[in-house]
Amino acid sequence: MRISIVGFGAVGQGVAKAIRSTQERLRRKYNLKIDIVAAADSKGAAIQEDGLDPQKLIKVKTEKGSVAYYPDHGHEDMDSLQVLDEVEYDCLVEVTPTNIITGEPGKSLITKAIEDGKDVVTSNKGHLSLFYKELVGLAKEHDVNFKFEASVGGAMPIINFAQETLPSSRIESIIGILNGTTNFILSRMTAEGSSYEQTLKEAQELGIAETDPTQDVEGLDAACKSVILANAVLGRECTLDDVEVTGITKITPEAIELAKEDGYHIKLIAEISHEILRVGPRLVKDTSPYAVDGTLNMATLRTDLAGEITVIGKGAGSLETASAILTDIINIWKSKH
Amino acid sequence: MRMSLVLELQDVPGQLVAALEPIASVGANIVTIIHERDVKTGALVPVQVTIEGDKETLDLAIKKLTEKGIRIIEKDGIPLKEKVNAILVGKISEEELKGIVDNINNLEGVKVADLSLKMSTTSSTIKVTMEAEHNSLGLLEDKIHKIGVEHRLLVITET
Ligand SMILES: NC(=O)c1ccc[n+]([C@@H]2O[C@H](COP(=O)([O-])OP(=O)(O)OC[C@H]3O[C@@H](n4cnc5c(N)ncnc54)[C@H](OP(=O)(O)O)[C@@H]3O)[C@@H](O)[C@H]2O)c1
Repeated sequence: MRISIVGFGAVGQGVAKAIRSTQERLRRKYNLKIDIVAAADSKGAAIQEDGLDPQKLIKVKTEKGSVAYYPDHGHEDMDSLQVLDEVEYDCLVEVTPTNIITGEPGKSLITKAIEDGKDVVTSNKGHLSLFYKELVGLAKEHDVNFKFEASVGGAMPIINFAQETLPSSRIESIIGILNGTTNFILSRMTAEGSSYEQTLKEAQELGIAETDPTQDVEGLDAACKSVILANAVLGRECTLDDVEVTGITKITPEAIELAKEDGYHIKLIAEISHEILRVGPRLVKDTSPYAVDGTLNMATLRTDLAGEITVIGKGAGSLETASAILTDIINIWKSKH
Repeated sequence: MRMSLVLELQDVPGQLVAALEPIASVGANIVTIIHERDVKTGALVPVQVTIEGDKETLDLAIKKLTEKGIRIIEKDGIPLKEKVNAILVGKISEEELKGIVDNINNLEGVKVADLSLKMSTTSSTIKVTMEAEHNSLGLLEDKIHKIGVEHRLLVITET
């Protein structure tokens, strides 16, 4: 299977690493050989029809700042949309930054790939939370696979899990912790009694929170994921505008202390049901499945036949997110062979 | 003696049988069962059961039901109350707080049972503990969030 990876940051490089480390097993188990025929970042691309060397790609990216400096096969300044015209491939792995205003550049990349009849796997939540219906509809129309397990909960299985493992049950609601950064901050505030500002700084120093933490701490990242789950799992038609969002920036150490007195933790909880779509801080019992600490994500699915089912896993990280992308790639391959 | 209970059950096959089992296991007689499917709220349905036995048996039945996590929302026609907590954060004066408490107390079936207050230089944090009848819970949640918007407070309620 020939893949083009567009975006070569934490997740793109994780995909390259994961492909390299699973190479032997995938060939043995599924008779699947994945060739990275193109890799692109914001400064250019590397293209090689019989496959680029994943290790060399990562080395060039780390040392020189762009895959465009890949020896003999680099193309400085080549636009990633053009890359998709320059090379024959089967599946686009779209891992560019999440943009919650326009969904670009991911939206145009995906649209082009689908219209060209290619399968698409993405971890990006921007375009999905703005144009879910349009993109999924386009993929149906062109009869291609469009998969996005990694966009919600990183390595934690949830979309494929609900769609493919639980088809017998109607999912009534999903309630969960869908953002690792805020869960880390709230867990630390609970353990240390520290202030929000102080704890955010600590999270930034540890590389858990970004320099501009807005999307995480204002609840927008969790809101994007809620929209994706509402559409993909509950069959609701909605976009980011439909989510009632409250972030964690106003939470005081006093609030956490008062909650603790009665055996509660404060968590940033996403609630997705057929009537409700909201993200906000909530009180959860410290004995409940929501009392999950650190950067972990969790979600409880309430179903009609199977009762409640809870999943927990790593919501972010280079290889963890790549694992979900690779799962989507393998499943596309399996569906065809 | 007879006792009438309203239980709130998940609308899933097997739930009713699971709820009746502890009643029968302590030796209480089940006199009637009325499944109120049409007053379903979300995935939950109220089921009215009338049971019979001596006082000890009936008490034991209630204990067993509670242990099994089955919610009893009414006993002999009287709604049972539940404790609900909410935390409010923001700038708030004593007068405003009084107004909020009155506002909550004016809701049917709801009473503020306890208030804890912690001040810091930038904002106040208030924990409100309320007792509410089961069928006021939805209303209460809405009300508390409206109060939050009105007074520009962060409102943290239970999941
Ligand atoms: N990191 C995680 O744990 C995680 C988990 C789940 C989902 N996600 C999602 O996965 C996506 C990628 O995340 P990430 O952490 O890998 O982000 P990242 O480290 O910021 O990498 C983004 C990559 O996209 C490239 N890029 C930006 N604009 C581009 C353009 N116009 N054409 C081609 N490439 C472009 C960047 O190029 P330069 O390198 O040249 O800047 C960079 O290589 C995001 O949508 C994110 O929300 C991430």
